[in-house]
Amino acid sequence: MAAEKLYDLWAKRNPQWEKRYEDNIIKMFTDYGKGSTSMREDRGKLLGPGYEIFIIAFFIGLYYDQRRPLVEDAAMLKSFGHPIQFWGNIDPVKGRKQYPKLREYIFTALVAKTDMDFISLDKGEITARKAVDMLIQTMEEYANFGFNFMADKMVDNPNYFFSETAFLEVFLAFDASIPKEEDEPESLD
Amino acid sequence: MIIRKIRIKNFRSYYDENEFELSEGLTLIIGGNGDGKTTFFEALEWLFDTTTENKKEAHVSEKRKSELEIGETDEVAVSMVFEHNGEKELVKRFDFQRVNESSVVTRNYQFIGYGNRGAERYSFDGKKMLEECFETLIRKYCLFKGESELNVFDNPEALKTLVDTFSGIKQFDRFVSLTTDFEQKSLKAATQELKNDKKVSDRAKELESQLVSVNREIQDYRTDLKNQEKAVSDYSEKLKILEENQEISERYQDIKDRLKSLYDKRARLTAQSGCDYNTSLLDEYWILRSFPKVLDEFQAKVSKLSKQKRKLDKEETERRAMEKGKKEAVKNLMNGAAPLPWYVPNKETMQEMIDEEVCKVCGRPAPKDSDAYHFMVDKLNEYLRHLEKENQADEEKPFFPNSYVDELHTRQIKMSGEIESEISNIHNEISDRIDFINARKSDLEKVKKEIQDVEDERTRILVNTNLTEDLIEKDFNDFKGYFAAKGRAETRIVELNQKLAAAESRKSDIQTEMSKLQPASSMTQAYQNVHIALERIMKAFERAKNENVNSFIGLLEKEANNYLEMLNENDFYGIIRIIKTVNDSARICLFSENGTEITNPGGAMRTTMYMSVLFAISKITTLKREQDYPLIFDAPTSSFEDYKEDVFYNVIDKIDKQCIIVTKDLLKTDELTGEKVLNDEKINQLTCSVYRICKAPNYNDKDLSTIQTMITHIK
Repeated sequence: MAAEKLYDLWAKRNPQWEKRYEDNIIKMFTDYGKGSTSMREDRGKLLGPGYEIFIIAFFIGLYYDQRRPLVEDAAMLKSFGHPIQFWGNIDPVKGRKQYPKLREYIFTALVAKTDMDFISLDKGEITARKAVDMLIQTMEEYANFGFNFMADKMVDNPNYFFSETAFLEVFLAFDASIPKEEDEPESLD
Repeated sequence: MIIRKIRIKNFRSYYDENEFELSEGLTLIIGGNGDGKTTFFEALEWLFDTTTENKKEAHVSEKRKSELEIGETDEVAVSMVFEHNGEKELVKRFDFQRVNESSVVTRNYQFIGYGNRGAERYSFDGKKMLEECFETLIRKYCLFKGESELNVFDNPEALKTLVDTFSGIKQFDRFVSLTTDFEQKSLKAATQELKNDKKVSDRAKELESQLVSVNREIQDYRTDLKNQEKAVSDYSEKLKILEENQEISERYQDIKDRLKSLYDKRARLTAQSGCDYNTSLLDEYWILRSFPKVLDEFQAKVSKLSKQKRKLDKEETERRAMEKGKKEAVKNLMNGAAPLPWYVPNKETMQEMIDEEVCKVCGRPAPKDSDAYHFMVDKLNEYLRHLEKENQADEEKPFFPNSYVDELHTRQIKMSGEIESEISNIHNEISDRIDFINARKSDLEKVKKEIQDVEDERTRILVNTNLTEDLIEKDFNDFKGYFAAKGRAETRIVELNQKLAAAESRKSDIQTEMSKLQPASSMTQAYQNVHIALERIMKAFERAKNENVNSFIGLLEKEANNYLEMLNENDFYGIIRIIKTVNDSARICLFSENGTEITNPGGAMRTTMYMSVLFAISKITTLKREQDYPLIFDAPTSSFEDYKEDVFYNVIDKIDKQCIIVTKDLLKTDELTGEKVLNDEKINQLTCSVYRICKAPNYNDKDLSTIQTMITHIK
């Protein structure tokens, strides 16, 4: 039987986050912990499932390229209990669309940003489990930075993110330039 | 009846005792908004109310109430001293007492009249005295609250009541009914006699039966005619409103169409300008706006890894191949002669030769422990080692047991090209979208403003006409229907009138024939003659009754036009006509001298028209009853302009009639204080009595118990 792909192994995971962001960020902006019986609009939240704010936090960390290690005490950590492989498969409620491809982009970013010897992985010197651990760690640390960023903003102004364009503004501030083609085409030998 | 004094005590804003002395002509009670004008009027309404024993706590002065200690009592009272066959007084009052911090009870309602008999003063039942001196029917034409109540003929019974009360027509009614009864009875008796008369019995019976039938026919035609006339009148009324408002209707329809298109536009723009920017980060992948750099990093990394892996793989393959080649080469160099391959002879042959101690290759014996024997044993061992080595070589681990880099490489290829360019374009997509939405939002604001303007225009139209939105719409839609229905009813009336005339003529023929029957008995003939005489008398009374109504209306019109002329000095005023409608009610209309009806007179013109009719009614009442009655108005001139106002008061001032007008006219704004003060210049031109009412200063505008109406007798 062919070995399971790295992507699939990663997608089965549940990244963790620090519990201290649960009430003032995750529950504030998403339906996390509210069950799935009523619609997002009914509860007036900016976002739907809990992982959505995690994704936003992750991308903030990614674009700042700033990581923030999680606390070591496992009792202070939590996960959504909703593996990555299902992220983005949201119910098409009023105006919302599914965004399954975003998972792949996150994975791509993790591969790009995780300092890991993939040659050793292919040689079998590093286990796939260890490799996925490292990818998840990158993911968690970027997101942790993002959560911390949001928390800081909200200390200054508790309503900072409660505007129509607040999160978009954060992302519009990042550089969106397109890198120039510098590499020569790969030789085929 | 002339009212001399009005006293108001603790009634709402009238704290403690307040007295107004009224002149025999005009008395003006002038006050601004909230100064107690309407309260004055309502105090009189309460005094004149004979339907209930109203002692509502709401009538009690809040100020007085707030001062009361627990257990303390005071009274609310409104009284009127008046002249009506001698001086009389009417007092309506009740007590109020504070029972605890939060409540007051009212009790001891009394309505008493006082009169003098010689030098003595007697008390009477107030209700009775009021009805005797100022009966309900007359009061109805004396007290008017606001401009809208001035059209007394709004009530369909009004004309009949008025005519019945003041024209003496009631007496005619009695005669008409009496003579009709006589006529019926004499007809019955005469017919009976004729039927019994031997000579004419058969013909009389036949004629009577024809008469019954024709009478029924006439009755049916009349009923139908009345219905059709009513229908024509109703449709005409509606069409008239519609014609008056045709232009308005058209404008209204235009506005409605414009609004509909604007509402559609607003809905479309609202949908287009709605965007959830937060969820679009995910749903629309906007979060990947800055992703191209990351993707580039990924591609570079994976490309490098893939290259590195392939390079390593190649190197390792070469290394292994080289190692294998080396070994083969070493073997080739032994003794210069090529040895037998390791697998010749094979394992089984070798074992057989050892067991039999014979070398079957060279055909010589090889006894145990001989060199040849040892050679064969070594050869077998070498064979076995080869086999083992061969097996080991087959199981050798690949250099790269995993293919994760290949997986990444596949992903890298997948993410280049179209996907890469899609991501690169997100940046533009977001800014395009934001620009689009902002443009739509700006359009939306413009449309909203436009909607507001058009809605305001619609409101102005509705305010400027007395029509409701429903009515305009309904009438507009029903216009054709009304027109057709009116036409049908008119045609029907013509037909019915013809049929009625024919039936009346047949009836007359039958009656003539009946009267010409020559009965055998002279007694029967006498019956016939009596009937003819009574019938003529009945007709005379009927005509007289109609004449009387017409002459009453004529008188009313004449008097009303006199007043109208006075009230509209130096202004266009037209001619008032009081038109009897089908259902015996009346309509007050204004005509131009050339016969054109002025269908929609302006506010001031309408008010003076109605007031002229009121003055006329009052004058006729005075003539008929030999008693004058006061007219009391609350703010009748709110639609008047300043000039009209001046003329109006100057005219009323000179009319020989007791009039009490409560108004906010004749005030002006003091330039220094900004407060409303009396316009002395205008007031000095009037000869009438004037009272100024106003709120006592230093009141708290949120506390009712600080409000008190102060009255000042100006002149």
